[in-house]
Amino acid sequence: MEEIKEKVNENEEVNMDHIKLSMPNKPEYVSIIRLTASAIASRIGFNIDDIEDIKVAIGEACTNAIRHGCNKINDTYDIDFFAYEDKLEIKIKDTGKGLCSLNIKEPKAEDLKEGGLGLFIIKTLMDDVKFTTLQNKGTIILMTKMLGVE
Amino acid sequence: MALKINKLFDEEKKVWILKPYGEIDIYTAPKFKEILLNVIETRDSNIIIDGKDLEYIDSTGLGVLISGLKRLKETDKNITIINLRPNISKLFEITGLNKVFIVKEV
Repeated sequence: MEEIKEKVNENEEVNMDHIKLSMPNKPEYVSIIRLTASAIASRIGFNIDDIEDIKVAIGEACTNAIRHGCNKINDTYDIDFFAYEDKLEIKIKDTGKGLCSLNIKEPKAEDLKEGGLGLFIIKTLMDDVKFTTLQNKGTIILMTKMLGVE
Repeated sequence: MALKINKLFDEEKKVWILKPYGEIDIYTAPKFKEILLNVIETRDSNIIIDGKDLEYIDSTGLGVLISGLKRLKETDKNITIINLRPNISKLFEITGLNKVFIVKEV
């Protein structure tokens, strides 16, 4: 967050729209966030394939926040969209206990687990991903999709 | 969006055919899991999942498929996934699950 603010201040000409959401940690709202993300991405001009990537990535990040981030009933987590002319940055921040491991491994066919795919999928689908996790302070996922990058 | 799943047992081929309509995510995955494990319990046989009308799946849905496959593998059965949309097919490729399940074009 700090980093992004600084960047904007340095160069006032950067054209960026900031959209903020605060969501209850309830699974039934994740589809609304996916729809919101695809509408914003479509506005920027992303193609259908990229929009699908963004939808899956944000879905995974929200799932992660709900599953591992929020530990209280009626807890919330925050989503920030930074819509630039040539990229979309999305920040998902929860206030939970933090992830125990950020050691993201490629899934192995012979040793499949039912969990652990989410962060790997985010890393694969987005152009740049930063995970920050602090014990008992929550996790921040900052992910970027560039317009027109294969 | 909700999830609807049609299930049918093909007596001739002795195989379950499941056809999900809609989205499998953190909200609908528990329902998908219940149905998948229920059909396996009812009749332990191979399963075909027709993805023609599956619009979205994420790691929670893939996790359910993995748990179903684990159960079936105990009796040497398998899950075949057909008709996947390109965006979903891509997810199977990047996670390597296209080598774990039998993924077919048609």
